[in-house]
Amino acid sequence: MSAILRDAMSQQGTPESGPKNPGDGAAWSIVSYLLSGLIFWGGAGWLLDRWLGTKVFILVGLILGAGASLYLVWLRYGRQ
Amino acid sequence: MNVAGAGFEPPSSADFIFSPFIGQSAYLTKPIALVFLSVLFISIFFIVAAKKAAIVPSRLQFAGESLYGFVRNDLGRDIIGPEFIRFVPFLFTMFTFVLVNNIFGIVPFLQFPTMSRFSFPVVLSVLTFVVFHATAIKHKGLGGYLKEIMFMPGVPKLVYIILTPMELMTFFFTRPVTLAVRLFANMFAGHLLLLVFILGGDHLLHGAIGLKLVSPFAFTIGIALTFFEFLVQCLQAYIFTLLTALYIAGALSDEH
Repeated sequence: MSAILRDAMSQQGTPESGPKNPGDGAAWSIVSYLLSGLIFWGGAGWLLDRWLGTKVFILVGLILGAGASLYLVWLRYGRQ
Repeated sequence: MNVAGAGFEPPSSADFIFSPFIGQSAYLTKPIALVFLSVLFISIFFIVAAKKAAIVPSRLQFAGESLYGFVRNDLGRDIIGPEFIRFVPFLFTMFTFVLVNNIFGIVPFLQFPTMSRFSFPVVLSVLTFVVFHATAIKHKGLGGYLKEIMFMPGVPKLVYIILTPMELMTFFFTRPVTLAVRLFANMFAGHLLLLVFILGGDHLLHGAIGLKLVSPFAFTIGIALTFFEFLVQCLQAYIFTLLTALYIAGALSDEH
């Protein structure tokens, strides 16, 4: 294959060229994972607090949620 | 507003509510007129741009083709992969619609970003939500899709208790909500910011002599912010479409 042809092809980009490079848009979709962890486990802790009349579980829930979110993001995007 | 002696009334969310053009009909307001205008504008622009398609494109054809090429290649092909072409019409419509409606925020005389009324982003976000879930269900089957969302491979079984609810929430709640809120909040805040500086500058201009002297600074910042808003408006249209493409890509991928 001539160099000119190869150049032209690489510039055009083959249609099958890899589906999504995660670095590109991943940053924007990570936001929803981080929020999910905080809202779900923070919310669960808050409900538990209301039920038991305590004040500690919302904190536990938020920390658990934040940690689990980061773990989930790593699972989804980080471990190729 | 410019009555001498009257206090400055800071812009608020009330500035986003318009009274109907005619009578009491809630459907004849400025934001809705703007939406129709945007559809008209986009249609006419692309019909004219594509009408006399030539090998050596006219300036208009070039503009239309660049925009289409950008959505097709950078948002469609590079992100979705081999099956991208059937999603290009959706992505392209979404991008141009959001872009034009955002830019209405700084077009003289129109000067209102339609997407700063929450219901418009909500509808678009629901569309994206339906499209990416339907694509995934068609591609993987309902059971396969739910299994993929809920059970990440390579994780100890007990951890699913923590992760599964978060995954479900991400796919069915946080994704559409953040999509809509991000667009709405950016447009709302941007418009409010412009109102503060430009209405504020106007108010200063009608004030005492000392205030008149300060007024040009407020207008200068207002103009600078207008350019900044243009950036934000383009960026938000891009991000909205980018995320739509990413979600569709996720729906088509088999890796998990």
